Amino acid sequence: MKITKKWLACIVACMMVCTAFVGCGKSDDSKKASDVDSTTKGDNNAVVSEDSSTDLEGTLDIFQFKVEINDALKAATEKYMKLHPGVKVNLETVGGGDDYGAALRTKMQNSDQPDIYNIGGPQDVKDWNDNLEDLSSEEWIPNVVNGLLDDVSKDSKVFGMPMAIEGYGFIYNKGIFEAAGIDAESLKTFDEIDAAFGKLKEKIDNGDLKDQYQVLEAVIEYPAKEKWVTGMHTSNVAFGQEFANCTEAYNAKELEFTYSNELKDLVDLQVKYTTNADNPSGLNAVDYSMQAGGGLAIERVAVIQQGNWVYPVIKEIDENIADNLGVIPIPLKGVSEGNTPIGVPMYWAVNSQSDDNSKAIAKDFLNWLYQSDEGKNIVIDEFNFIPPFTNYGDLKPADPVGAEISQAATEGTIAPWVFNGCPTSWAENVLGAEIQAYLAGNKTWDEVIDTAKESWKDARK
Amino acid sequence: MKQSKVGFWLFLLPSLLAFTIVVLIPAIWGLGYSLTDWNGISHNVHFVGFQNYKTIFLGDKDFLHAFLFTTLFSFCAVIFINVVGFALALLVTSKVKCSTFMRTVFFMPNLIGGILLGFIWQFIFIQGFGAISKITGIQGFSNWLSDTTTSFWGLLILITWQLSGYMMIIYIAYIQSISNDLIEAAQIDGANYIQRLRKIVIPLVRPAFTIGMFLSLSTCFKLYDQNLALTNGGPYNSTEMLALNIYNTAFKYNDLGLAQAKAVIFLIAVATIGLIQLYFNKKKEAEM
Repeated sequence: MKITKKWLACIVACMMVCTAFVGCGKSDDSKKASDVDSTTKGDNNAVVSEDSSTDLEGTLDIFQFKVEINDALKAATEKYMKLHPGVKVNLETVGGGDDYGAALRTKMQNSDQPDIYNIGGPQDVKDWNDNLEDLSSEEWIPNVVNGLLDDVSKDSKVFGMPMAIEGYGFIYNKGIFEAAGIDAESLKTFDEIDAAFGKLKEKIDNGDLKDQYQVLEAVIEYPAKEKWVTGMHTSNVAFGQEFANCTEAYNAKELEFTYSNELKDLVDLQVKYTTNADNPSGLNAVDYSMQAGGGLAIERVAVIQQGNWVYPVIKEIDENIADNLGVIPIPLKGVSEGNTPIGVPMYWAVNSQSDDNSKAIAKDFLNWLYQSDEGKNIVIDEFNFIPPFTNYGDLKPADPVGAEISQAATEGTIAPWVFNGCPTSWAENVLGAEIQAYLAGNKTWDEVIDTAKESWKDARK
Repeated sequence: MKQSKVGFWLFLLPSLLAFTIVVLIPAIWGLGYSLTDWNGISHNVHFVGFQNYKTIFLGDKDFLHAFLFTTLFSFCAVIFINVVGFALALLVTSKVKCSTFMRTVFFMPNLIGGILLGFIWQFIFIQGFGAISKITGIQGFSNWLSDTTTSFWGLLILITWQLSGYMMIIYIAYIQSISNDLIEAAQIDGANYIQRLRKIVIPLVRPAFTIGMFLSLSTCFKLYDQNLALTNGGPYNSTEMLALNIYNTAFKYNDLGLAQAKAVIFLIAVATIGLIQLYFNKKKEAEM
């Protein structure tokens, strides 16, 4: 009995070990299989490059962060595949700035590196140096709007293709302002805007607008929980004035914060007209969805500080409201008034580590997407982008917010957009968090500014 | 004799292999990275010795704050989770109606993922509590997640709600294994409910307390997704726990070397606290 038990034990143990090895063996096999795949793929590539005059052939892996355009981009890749039957395009989207950065890092450590990915500015150009293909000889280069390539250029090489122009300001509901008898289009200076908001607040508090707008409860909503709204966008209006572009900010050892008091005014202006005016700490729990979808889109508030990217969000909820939006330029009291900050949120980059065939497809795809007639229509109508190119002719964004920002870009009433040049994570996790502490009454404004300056200096040591 | 030794190692081999591959090797690897300045991307990695550890011990206020916050949170959470879990177990093992149904209900939150839970409670704390405060006019209900103290309580409520059901299951198993003879004998001797609980039930389920406290402590110390979804460290990074702090260091500040050093300290701290707690609980069990 004992002996049989022992034998049984041995057999079971052997089986377990075997399964363990079987497991290993399998993974080995699959590895080999994928090796074979890649070699055959390589062979194919070789064949293609021999007679590349006919058409492109191979696979293109795109890894991008803009969730909003995922479906439209997917459709665009399908169109592209129809034009080039030999090409297979794989699109993968991971949303949000930080998540994308982390995901991209894992991707690049793996063997399945993407051929096209997104980079943000000078810091990314430095970090991803080993993976950036020089694009300076591409066809589209001369058509790029002046100055937009400064932040992705180094030693006369260009590493990125601007994705779009974005701009932000006070986006407002034209209907509400008309009903209140305020001419919003003429609003330029800080004091004018302050007065107009005050007048609107009075009407809301008196109940004058109750009949038309039942849920309207405040002039503005300010989502301090979203540290990018406060730390990047609001603050950029002030510290942006110290630099001409991201690269200058990127190279700055110190931040003077010359306009810190004006920034305080701008923050206070927004706080003053929210429902949380008496208890600003409440704003630390207000997020983007409460501001856009649950604020402007349902006419709970009349104004929000956001960019043209909110148009599709609002449109999804109420098309009539979305098409009746306007932009009041965000002011820096007495310094820069009537100007709209405009910049490039992200750039397309081509992975220099990909094989030559994939790189060729990647470059061709980007050129097709932004320069062919078909592509231009997709960029304008499907992506709702403001094109960063000068050769789009009469094609203009159909949405009113994009159109106004596009107009500001052509007229040149623009302000710098430099937060991509700040030390890594500084704008959000230092300045944005400090502004939360200010709103909570935990810190004075001077302490906020001192911490922010100190932290900038530390990061640039 | 010889044969059984071979058998012993044969039995051990699979788990030993797995442990080496997925725990030991990555841990040593990570230890190595903690001595470098790697940013997570670059191919040239420099050896910087103990510089990262120095940075942490000499002035990383955020890490210190995260550490203290996590410790305080875990301490409170362990008590809350186990008290509630034990109470629930007592409730569903007593002769109340639909106790099986109640077991399922209490266990349910544990089946929902942490991120989802975080967002559900975010909605409750912001919208739900906000509505209550609007209707009743009680200020205490408004702006829960925008204040440091109430955010802390928010996290605590969330984790108690999620984990106490799980602990309940453990306690149920032990409570049911208590022989009815003991309880009846005590009843005949005239012991009331509280006395029976203190003198019979609690001593007999002590091993379950060891398990429950150990599990909840390690879970709370390593908490990440609930923290991320509910407060994301806000307001002003005051509710940032260790795991979130390490993640942010690695992927927001691009300082993987430093993050790895923090992770090593984290590992040592969790292991130490866990072992100390296990030691004391075991000691109490032995006294029985």
